[in-house]
Amino acid sequence: MVQGEESSWRMAASTHHERAIPLNQALAYGVQAHASASVAATPPASFLDFQPAAAAAAYFGELEEALIHGAANAAGVVDPGMIRGGDVHTKSAATAGYLAARPPTLEIFPSWPTRQQQQLHSGNSQSVGSTTDSSSAQNTMPQMELVSPASIRASSEQQQQPQPGQEVMMVTTDDYSYKPGLAAASPSFQQHQLQQQPLHGGGDHDKRKLGSTRKEGKLVDAKTERRLAQNREAARKSRLRKKAYVQNLETSRVRLQQIEQELQRARSQGLLLGGCSAAGDTSSGAAVFDMEYARWLDDDSKRLTELRGGLQAHLLDTNLGLIVEECMQHYDELFQLKASLARSDVFHLLTGTWATPAERCFLWMGGFRPSDLLKILIQQLDPLTEQQMLGIYNLQQSSEQAEEALGQGLQQLHQSLADTVAAGTLNNDGPGVPNYMSLMAIALDKLANLESFYQQADNLRQQTLHQLHRILTTRQAARCFLSIGEYYRRLRALSNLWSSRPCESFIGTESVSPPGTELQTMHHQPQQNQYSGF
Amino acid sequence: MQYGAAAAEQAWTAYMPMPAMAAAAETAAERVERVASESAVVVFSVSSCCMCHAVKRLFCGLGVSPAVHELDLDPCGRDIERALSHLVGGGAAPVVPVVFIGGKLVGAMDRVMAAHINGSLVPLLKEAGALWL
Repeated sequence: MVQGEESSWRMAASTHHERAIPLNQALAYGVQAHASASVAATPPASFLDFQPAAAAAAYFGELEEALIHGAANAAGVVDPGMIRGGDVHTKSAATAGYLAARPPTLEIFPSWPTRQQQQLHSGNSQSVGSTTDSSSAQNTMPQMELVSPASIRASSEQQQQPQPGQEVMMVTTDDYSYKPGLAAASPSFQQHQLQQQPLHGGGDHDKRKLGSTRKEGKLVDAKTERRLAQNREAARKSRLRKKAYVQNLETSRVRLQQIEQELQRARSQGLLLGGCSAAGDTSSGAAVFDMEYARWLDDDSKRLTELRGGLQAHLLDTNLGLIVEECMQHYDELFQLKASLARSDVFHLLTGTWATPAERCFLWMGGFRPSDLLKILIQQLDPLTEQQMLGIYNLQQSSEQAEEALGQGLQQLHQSLADTVAAGTLNNDGPGVPNYMSLMAIALDKLANLESFYQQADNLRQQTLHQLHRILTTRQAARCFLSIGEYYRRLRALSNLWSSRPCESFIGTESVSPPGTELQTMHHQPQQNQYSGF
Repeated sequence: MQYGAAAAEQAWTAYMPMPAMAAAAETAAERVERVASESAVVVFSVSSCCMCHAVKRLFCGLGVSPAVHELDLDPCGRDIERALSHLVGGGAAPVVPVVFIGGKLVGAMDRVMAAHINGSLVPLLKEAGALWL
């Protein structure tokens, strides 16, 4: 059995990649063992979580961290009973249990110094099955520390020689037998070698390039090895700390956004009650609008779900038509909302502060550009009858003409406003210029025209949607509203991804979780930051 | 006296060729109607108004040359504006631009845009003879 394990181990040693496979098997084996031993511990899960896929070094590094987690999770779940038994299953369970029981800080990889190996060699025949000593954990600790420098040195070499490794393996197997607590694990040692339980003395051996590989014939200074091991452990600890810190930052940021939103809502409500002072940068009307808009977005997503369900269920046109009508009314409500804000604070709408960044890219006079939306929808609405095609083409053309006209009018407004503000000499400061106040009054009047332009643009958008609804059949209209909703949902999601993308350079290949957490926050955020380009 | 006054008035109107004086008898509303039926497309505007500029550009883009009446250049502009606001509904502060096609009132800018979007503007223009395609 030992021979067979040796050979498998050697095979694993030949290449990094191959090593992974037996390790997987060993892990699975260990998991099975756990299951059979009916130990309710987390280590199996932690083993599986960290199936290696990367280069061996990174792989082992991650394993170490994983094992630390596993150990931390399972701390205190030491089950001496796990160690009992003579069959391999129990032994692997015992090994796993030992791994779980190990305190996380002991990340030193015990290796087998040559001298100790020789000692162990003599003790080869020692009891492989006697693993009833539950205090072995403590006993093995000092032993592991002794051997760790050697093993660490060996692992740092990262040079596996099957021959010396094999030799070492045998020695390490024997070594295991020396440790009463781990003796039971020695037969299963080779299976778990690659599992590389850092807490497990023998496991570290194998983990470190299939046991304690070391320079051929050279004895490594124990002190140096220990120093290197400590360095490695310190590095590992700092990596873990960094990961934890980054995760903390991410969650704090999400929480901060939530709190800011709540604060804004509370402030606007306070303003409504007339209690608090005006909000900092947003006017009261704008704050109310933002609140209402968020509610509109929630309703919108519900209606989209209704539409989708109606389309998939192949509802009758009458029923589907009702849903489509509701959608149309919902959009009209939004236009109403915007119109009421335009009277008091048109700049909030024109600058698009209520929209997400990606939507703001496409902002045209405070909302979507009808001809752009039609271009997108035309591709989604096939098949169309000829008459419908003609109708949509005409609609597109007339909206383009209307947009052009409004754009030209706005351009003239800009020019006129610029001329007014720049009237007279610009060399003097404000009050020094003659007719400053009348100049300002004229400019104010011209600025007020912006509101009418915004109203006309919104009117154009509303009319376009209504006309589209008239041209299309019920099912087509349902698909059309669905497309519009989905398009803007994607833009919002894009904005969320953009705002939560990692900018820091140190978040690289080391940790796996940050991208995952970002995706998770992205999924959560669409419910909170729903701003569309309408 | 009356004769003298009438004669004075006649002499006055003969002296002053401005149609505004001759139309002093007609009300502003009648004036509006009269002017509106003089051309196929009539736009009442104010020269400094940018929205009027937009509607003019819209018609030019369609290939229509509307007859534009600048109210700020008309002595009776105020009255006409008042009459127009009655016609249109007088909600928004700037009444102009107001568009008549074929003598019939279309409305303010939003009505014109809505008519264009739902495709009713071009047939109206063709009917009035402002468009030939």
